[in-house]
Amino acid sequence: MDNSSHLSVVLDLSPAQWYQSPLSLDSFLAQLLVFLNAHIALKHDNSLAVFGALPDKSVMLYASSEPPMDTPATSDPNCYPPFKRLDSAVTARISEQLEDPLLDVTTPSAIVGALTKALCYINRLSVATGLVDPRILILSVSPDLSNAYIPIMNSIFSAQKLKVTIDAGQIYGPDTVFLQQAAHLTGGSYLHLTETSALLQYLIMTFLPPPSIRKVIAVPTQDKIDFRAACFCHKNIVDIGFVCSVCLSIFCQPTPVCSTCRTKFPIKTLQRLNASRPLTISSANNSARPTPVSTPRSAATAARHPPMSAESIQNGSGTSAVANGSGH
Amino acid sequence: MTACTAKASCKKLPGLLELTDTHLQWTQDGKKAPSVRIAHSEAASLFCSKEGAPQTRLKIGLVGDDNGHNFTFSSPQPVAVAEREKFKKELTTIISRNRGAQDALPKPPLPVAAARSLSVTAVPTPGTSTPRPTATPLQASHSRASSVVDDRRPTPVITGTDPATEFRLRKKVLMANPELGTLHRDLVMSGQITEADFWDGREHLILAQLASEGQKKGKPGQLVDPRPETVEGGEIKIRITPQLVHDIFDEYPIVATAYSENVPNKLSEEQFWKRYFQSKLFNAHRASIRSSAAQHVVKEDPIFDKYLEKDDDELEPRRQRSEQVDVFVDLAMTFEDHGDTGNDKDITMQAGRQKAALPLIRKFNEHSERLLNSALGDLPPSKRQRTDEGEGSYTQIDLDDLHDPEASDGIILEMQDRQRYFNAVMSKEAEAVKQHDPAVVLADTKSKLQSTESKLTQLKIERKAGDAALIAMTTNVANRLDGKSRKNDIPDGLFRQMTTCQTAANEFLRQFWLAMYPPPSELQTVATATKAQRLAKQAKMIGYIAKTPEKVHALIQAAQQHGIDAIRVQNALKPILEASERALTVYRNKKPGQ
Repeated sequence: MDNSSHLSVVLDLSPAQWYQSPLSLDSFLAQLLVFLNAHIALKHDNSLAVFGALPDKSVMLYASSEPPMDTPATSDPNCYPPFKRLDSAVTARISEQLEDPLLDVTTPSAIVGALTKALCYINRLSVATGLVDPRILILSVSPDLSNAYIPIMNSIFSAQKLKVTIDAGQIYGPDTVFLQQAAHLTGGSYLHLTETSALLQYLIMTFLPPPSIRKVIAVPTQDKIDFRAACFCHKNIVDIGFVCSVCLSIFCQPTPVCSTCRTKFPIKTLQRLNASRPLTISSANNSARPTPVSTPRSAATAARHPPMSAESIQNGSGTSAVANGSGH
Repeated sequence: MTACTAKASCKKLPGLLELTDTHLQWTQDGKKAPSVRIAHSEAASLFCSKEGAPQTRLKIGLVGDDNGHNFTFSSPQPVAVAEREKFKKELTTIISRNRGAQDALPKPPLPVAAARSLSVTAVPTPGTSTPRPTATPLQASHSRASSVVDDRRPTPVITGTDPATEFRLRKKVLMANPELGTLHRDLVMSGQITEADFWDGREHLILAQLASEGQKKGKPGQLVDPRPETVEGGEIKIRITPQLVHDIFDEYPIVATAYSENVPNKLSEEQFWKRYFQSKLFNAHRASIRSSAAQHVVKEDPIFDKYLEKDDDELEPRRQRSEQVDVFVDLAMTFEDHGDTGNDKDITMQAGRQKAALPLIRKFNEHSERLLNSALGDLPPSKRQRTDEGEGSYTQIDLDDLHDPEASDGIILEMQDRQRYFNAVMSKEAEAVKQHDPAVVLADTKSKLQSTESKLTQLKIERKAGDAALIAMTTNVANRLDGKSRKNDIPDGLFRQMTTCQTAANEFLRQFWLAMYPPPSELQTVATATKAQRLAKQAKMIGYIAKTPEKVHALIQAAQQHGIDAIRVQNALKPILEASERALTVYRNKKPGQ
């Protein structure tokens, strides 16, 4: 493939999470920098942008289109200068951000903000100079933020429009539902890393090939995808819910008026839906039961599935990852 | 209700058959008490032997026992038949009353197939060498009625028409969709699911079939060209149907004029057609220019040759196009401008390599035009293309492609309470984060950052960890690709069993959940079931669903015996197992009477 590709990396720099992670931040950064160097070494005109997601803030750490002008203090004769520039720029900016007195390490990191910034950057460059094959790599150590569901889904849709592939690597922490969906919907790969000390192996094998080569080199990705969504009213993660047929917003219980598009639902439908609710088995998660589709302006079964027969949803086989994934 | 008596034998023993107000009973000759006593409410179905069969027999099917009892009327023939008819009439009334009463009571479903199949094959008449008699019309209507009405709930007529149409539509749908047909055969014919339940939720299929039958087909596009079929003896046979005659008159008006002038004065209709198909006129109307092998058959015919026309291969077609040419397309309008400067008219360019091709092409053109005219109707040609008159004639050449692409603004979504949409209710998340001392965390992070550079220069990946990661990723890719490329080597028989098990279980689950949930009240096209019926249906379906795990295990064992990887079969059937588990759990935990 002769085309260059663009890579935007979003780093989750939540200090609280890194403090608990078995992989320490310094070895993570070391391996990451090797990976970034590999990317810009692959082709002459490969471009790169690095974004950092800090608690409540997201910043751009490095962009190959606007390289930092200041030369590094120590010019290492053994190191290829562009690599050196990249490495020192990234580390310098990160330490700069950490010095910020307003930093509150208890709040979760703003991955969504960084993702959005990456998308805007790609959009700007695509219009200006024309980026080919852009992709975003998200390296995350935090668990899912259920209130981030709506912004992440919006980013996914914009990524689909821009034809951006989103890859995701979960280094520490539980499996994130939203990042799995992001990777699946944009055609990227999601990987939950188990051998974190061999991070570089994962990075080079899975995330280095650009999307155009992925037709030839098969990259590992997780087959079983958890397609759960978060409800719009309480931001709880639900696997079965009620969907407004006008604006497709998801609720965990039937409401008389949709909160996003102000559609009124008929009373009879609501009564019927409420009557069908007590059939919950598990009280752990607030899962409500689906109902068959009837008139417009009423609720339908939960959307956001890969094509599955309606029967299995009605059969209550649940939207758990097992049932979905084995079909793939 | 009158009581009937008749001499009849049961199980080859002579006796007396009586129909009283409450019972049908048969007493063996010489015995005091009746050996067969059937209450009226137990009579379920009735079959009779064919008229004219040597033995006059009557068979009663009971509720729960389809075989019931066979009675052979032993009186001499005409008397026996008369008696049989009397019994039949009374019993039919009783049985239909029974069926009406059955609606309220949930009873075990009667095998519909048994009734239906019995109606098709003959009632056994022993000792006759004649071929087994097929069901008489009377018998057929009995059994048809019994099969349609023989459900717990009368099978509702979905389309609002009569049951016979309903039946025909259902049959068509089942034949058009072989999987559905197999499912129907397995489940409904064996009596596990009633007809009504099966079609519950599938009404749209029947309605679609009805709609597609109601559509009228248009005129066929082929040129009317009846091909003669050669029969033995060298004769040529052409079937003449009224439709064909109508088409021929439509296509070739000359034949119509010939017909009107000659029939019935000079020729009879039969003679007309016979001579037409042998004449040169018909040969000229053929749709192919291959020299017909029947050249020798074509004779001169004094009447038909009058209507022969010259072949249509002049410069201009015989029939000129009459419509107005569109202003923007009309080349003739500017013809005079190009007289001196343009090209000469090319009269040597004619269609068709063979001489006979041009008339054929013109014939096709005329046919297509006629077809279009009949399809579009009687609109004047100018009005046909334009549906809306634009101002002036420039709207015709104002094409969409000529304009620059403009991005549309889209419709703005009016959202209520934007802040709530975007902001969080995240009190739960904050507590989930383990509380470490922020200062410690921050200090630790900063120090780690300092040591990054040294780590970078001394970077070394542990071999074992790297290998483990590599192997994990490779197996991941291999599994995915393998799954796509591996062909299905499960033997056909086992595979079909697996599919039937799964589709049957799906159908039971569908019925179960339909009975569990409150029905959609707006979409009532079938009769609503009462609460008791739904509970009964739930129980019945759960019974079937509970058997599914055994079936699956049996299939897995069968697979092992055949030497196939049992894990694959297990994985394939895992979703249905889980679905059954879930249904069973819900049923066990539900509140009674729900």
